[in-house]
Amino acid sequence: MIFTGIEILFFTLGLLTALFIVALVKYNKELNFDKWSWITLITGGSLALFCIAWSVSSVLEGVPRASSMGMVVFGIPSIVLLLLGRRMAIKKK
Amino acid sequence: MEKKELDKSNALNRRNFLKLGAAGAALGAVTIPSKARENLANKIDEKTAGDFIKTHDDFPYEVRDDYQPHSNKDIVFSGAFWGFHPEEDIKQSGRAFSAKTYMHFEEKKGFDQLAKALNAGAWSLHNAVTPMSSQGISQEGIFKWEQSRKKEGEFRPNHDWINEHQYQFNNKKEAADCIKRAARLYGADLVGITHRDKRWDYRDFIDPHAIMEGRKEDAVYGWERFPFEPKSVIVMAFEMDYEGIATAPTDVEGAAAGTMYSQMTKVAYQLSIFLKQLGYQAVPCGNDTGLSIPYVIAAGLGEGSRMGNLITYKYGPRVRLAKVYTDFDFVEYDKPIEFGAMEFCKNCMRCAEACPGKAISFDKEPTFEPTYEGANWYNAKGVKKYYMDAKKCFHTWGEFGTDCGSCMASCPYNKPDFWHHRLVDKITAAMPGPVHDFMREMDIAFGYGDVDNPEKIDRFFNPKGRSYNGK
Ligand code: SF4
Ligand code: SF4
Repeated sequence: MIFTGIEILFFTLGLLTALFIVALVKYNKELNFDKWSWITLITGGSLALFCIAWSVSSVLEGVPRASSMGMVVFGIPSIVLLLLGRRMAIKKK
Repeated sequence: MEKKELDKSNALNRRNFLKLGAAGAALGAVTIPSKARENLANKIDEKTAGDFIKTHDDFPYEVRDDYQPHSNKDIVFSGAFWGFHPEEDIKQSGRAFSAKTYMHFEEKKGFDQLAKALNAGAWSLHNAVTPMSSQGISQEGIFKWEQSRKKEGEFRPNHDWINEHQYQFNNKKEAADCIKRAARLYGADLVGITHRDKRWDYRDFIDPHAIMEGRKEDAVYGWERFPFEPKSVIVMAFEMDYEGIATAPTDVEGAAAGTMYSQMTKVAYQLSIFLKQLGYQAVPCGNDTGLSIPYVIAAGLGEGSRMGNLITYKYGPRVRLAKVYTDFDFVEYDKPIEFGAMEFCKNCMRCAEACPGKAISFDKEPTFEPTYEGANWYNAKGVKKYYMDAKKCFHTWGEFGTDCGSCMASCPYNKPDFWHHRLVDKITAAMPGPVHDFMREMDIAFGYGDVDNPEKIDRFFNPKGRSYNGK
């Protein structure tokens, strides 16, 4: 294998980050986010990316419990924040 | 610091990827040229490590004025095997340990013939060439003190003699860099250099061969037999296999430890030959001749801990230690470091809970004296630290017939080299004490550090189990 699991993970995270930024810019043009929408969406998105990074890394190191805990501790708040940010952005419109 | 040098060795290693991420350079991972990426990663590493790793000019723990160098007679092995203390229980532990080392128990996973054979192979080089150095005995086999010089024209089938020409380095940093590079080439994972400090040398030495041969008058000797005045001590740490140590307290764990005893025997000897061929005197040592822990702390390899072992920044307590005494002193010395491990120990106590022998202190704060009940001749008193009851520990070794290691396996600092553990370490170091309680609980909740778990043995032997390095 040319790339290790962790290298592929961080490459993928780079792509996901880029997609997330593109999506934010696109929807901002449409919905014109206010300060709180920006903060909530960016925090939620960062936490979601961190959750992916943590959980996949834990699987790679062979500690599945750390992976599932990561999904609970970082994943659930990230989904809540993203949904909240989405709602705030749409409501504003 | 050696650790940083190691990190810089691979532009695309796991930590560097994190740093790229931290810089918001996820896109950069695709587009920045590798040299620029390496420089950026190194800058961020220096910045973040610099914030959390403090250096000290002096030995970082208080040492009382009445501190006395420890006697080689007053270590648990000397009491157990060579009769320097009359206590029957410690001799009994020694007999049990010796007997069970050679027995296997097919019904006990991790203590069966497979595990015992693994352990025997691991220790074999150490046992063949420096048999008792792990028990603190000096001058064993190739760890001999003798310094010889080759006569003009004499043929020697080795290089174990001092070159008449002394190599001169351009400056002290170059000397330190070359010595550390040599040690790493031979197989050390961390290297540091410190002044020789008589406080950490054994006050006297025991000679088990004299005892076995009935020469009682030679059973104890002093520094007058040491062939030169040491000026520097080069210390090395050797990373033990993560999945091996995770099987504690079994013989598979013993094999992980023994593998590094064999490795450190080889490397310390090789480094001593390197110094001799540079024209300087050198004596390689394992656990013998001086106390390794204060020497490695002084040389900046890590911090002390509740369990009594060194905690390194990179590998936590999962290391074995060796040292080389030399008269070479034109060298840049390292400084002690602090990254929050001793502070974390105040709230953690996981090793004390995991210890099957109840040998590790639950005291909140370090002390100058042991606080456990009963005899304590085997502790070097007068240093502010946590004192563990080595006699209870050795009794547990006698019950298992191997060297346990549950304390190391349970420690939150014992993690594979993954970016998220580095991140947690840094957050931990930056946080005040009460947060450490929370971090400790999270470490348990996330499933790290459980011991006495037979599944870990399956995982050790499973070829697919060795994925912790991200491959
Ligand atoms: S090696 Fe085992 S018995 Fe000894 S201190 Fe560590 S956990 Fe306790
Ligand atoms: S387990 Fe906890 S208390 Fe024990 S040495 Fe490690 S950090 Fe310190």
